[in-house]
Amino acid sequence: MSKARFTRRALLAGAGAGGLGAAFAAPLLGEKLIDLGLPGGPSLRPLGPAFPGKGEMIVQRIRPPLLETPLKALGESVITPTERFFVRWNWDFPTAINVANYRVAVGGAVRQPVELTLDEIVSAGEHVEVVAVNQCAGNGRGLSTPRVTGTQWGNGAMGCARWTGVRLKDVLAKAGIAPGAKRVRFAGLDVPPMEGAPQFIKSVPIDIALRDDVLVAWGMNGEPLPMMHGFPLRIVVPGWFSTYWVKMLATIEVLSGEDDGYYVAKSYRMPAQPITPDEKDFPTVSITAMPPRALITSHADGETVRRGAPLTLRGIALGGDAALARVDLVGEGFELPCTLVGPDEGPYALRLWEVTIPEGTQSLANIGVRAANVRGAVQPDTLFWNPSGYARNVIERITLRLA
Amino acid sequence: MRALILILPALVLTGCERAPMVIFADSSITLPDDPLDLPPGAGVDAVIANCTACHSPSTMLQQPRLSREQWLATVTKMREVYKAPINEPDIPLIVDYLAAVQQGTEGQAER
Ligand code: HEC
Repeated sequence: MSKARFTRRALLAGAGAGGLGAAFAAPLLGEKLIDLGLPGGPSLRPLGPAFPGKGEMIVQRIRPPLLETPLKALGESVITPTERFFVRWNWDFPTAINVANYRVAVGGAVRQPVELTLDEIVSAGEHVEVVAVNQCAGNGRGLSTPRVTGTQWGNGAMGCARWTGVRLKDVLAKAGIAPGAKRVRFAGLDVPPMEGAPQFIKSVPIDIALRDDVLVAWGMNGEPLPMMHGFPLRIVVPGWFSTYWVKMLATIEVLSGEDDGYYVAKSYRMPAQPITPDEKDFPTVSITAMPPRALITSHADGETVRRGAPLTLRGIALGGDAALARVDLVGEGFELPCTLVGPDEGPYALRLWEVTIPEGTQSLANIGVRAANVRGAVQPDTLFWNPSGYARNVIERITLRLA
Repeated sequence: MRALILILPALVLTGCERAPMVIFADSSITLPDDPLDLPPGAGVDAVIANCTACHSPSTMLQQPRLSREQWLATVTKMREVYKAPINEPDIPLIVDYLAAVQQGTEGQAER
């Protein structure tokens, strides 16, 4: 999607200030950089240092880690290998976990507060597997125009994994939900270092919490969750942005009222209606369910392809909170349906698609892919700009040169 | 469309009650060092002293170009929302430094 030019840092001596931030965040000589194509820059990011258990990742930040998956890697399979899966933490997290002492406290509006061991969680109910996309609410923020502050992600802050766990509702049943419950809130072990700073706690409405596929998960792609993905337990909410998928789960709290915590009441919100960049004081809503998205991963913006030679484009798509219905290639004056290929791992999984460009196509300028889901949600042609760059799903376009 | 979720056999019927099938082992991770690398310039020490307790310098360096007012708003947010212990007299130094470091970049953010 974005320009994926790989550059050796040695070549960047004296490279414009576009590389400044990246170069200084990447002090190792000879470290590779990637260009995320962020409008106006700074756009270069280091592909190191290496993190334990991870392959090559775009290092947006070392501490707390923000690691992005290169788009080419995302397009290789429906299941994103764990070692290429994006990582996102708001605050530092513990770097060692003792499983014997680990407890999950279930409290709030419950009949009987309980503290559960890992074994008690595992035996709380049926073991359930779901394949689901986990996508940061700010995925693609760095591509916003006008630009906005926050983590300057390209489009690789997402991945698709097979998650294994027990249903959250079975864990809640251990404590018994009291009448009048409205929301269920989750906290992890990532607590802020400063007194009074907001802890990263997030809640979902009770009807979401009681869904059959909302999990307290310990498995990711058939292995225990790695530390950076929330060992030993994390919440999984298929179809919803990953901000709700709280990692290193420590507390489950049933709320009988609204959640007035910072990360629900003040942050991770977007305008209720489209706004212009200079509007202030507009009503906001929490970002929750994901809209459909599709990306071209086989070719990067600006690549040259041979005129007359057969050309197949490939990529990924997701339906969001409903199954993907279709993907279409849209260009200047033409549209072509894409073929969904590869395994169908259910409504919340990534799908792979491909499309062959007919010979004689004159222009591959501003081509993009447009996903639609079975509920009729379709990717828009223009960006729903919002000051925090959330829930980006504008059709992403690239230009290929014919030569 | 395949079934939404696969239900795995819940519990293996072993003699003992509620035998968990999942084994957890103690886990730890060694994260890479976070070198506090910032381009040299007036105020760099103030930024290192006040702005690196919670996150790497890349948090600042990767932002699109911000005005002094926007940098001041960010510093204020760090103090008021995230309770960053910022030494008051350092604030203008921090804002000047961050605005100056971005001078060479073409990026722009509007709020
Ligand atoms: C007490 C902890 C703390 C300190 C100290 C701190 N910050 Fe932050 N900062 C945060 C947190 C938390 C975030 C959000 C992190 C995330 O989203 O992953 C953040 C994010 C940011 C961002 C990204 C934009 C945004 O608004 O999210 C910038 C820029 C930033 N900080 C600048 C600074 C500067 C400049 C200083 C020094 C004046 C500073 N920070 C000191 C906690 C802190």
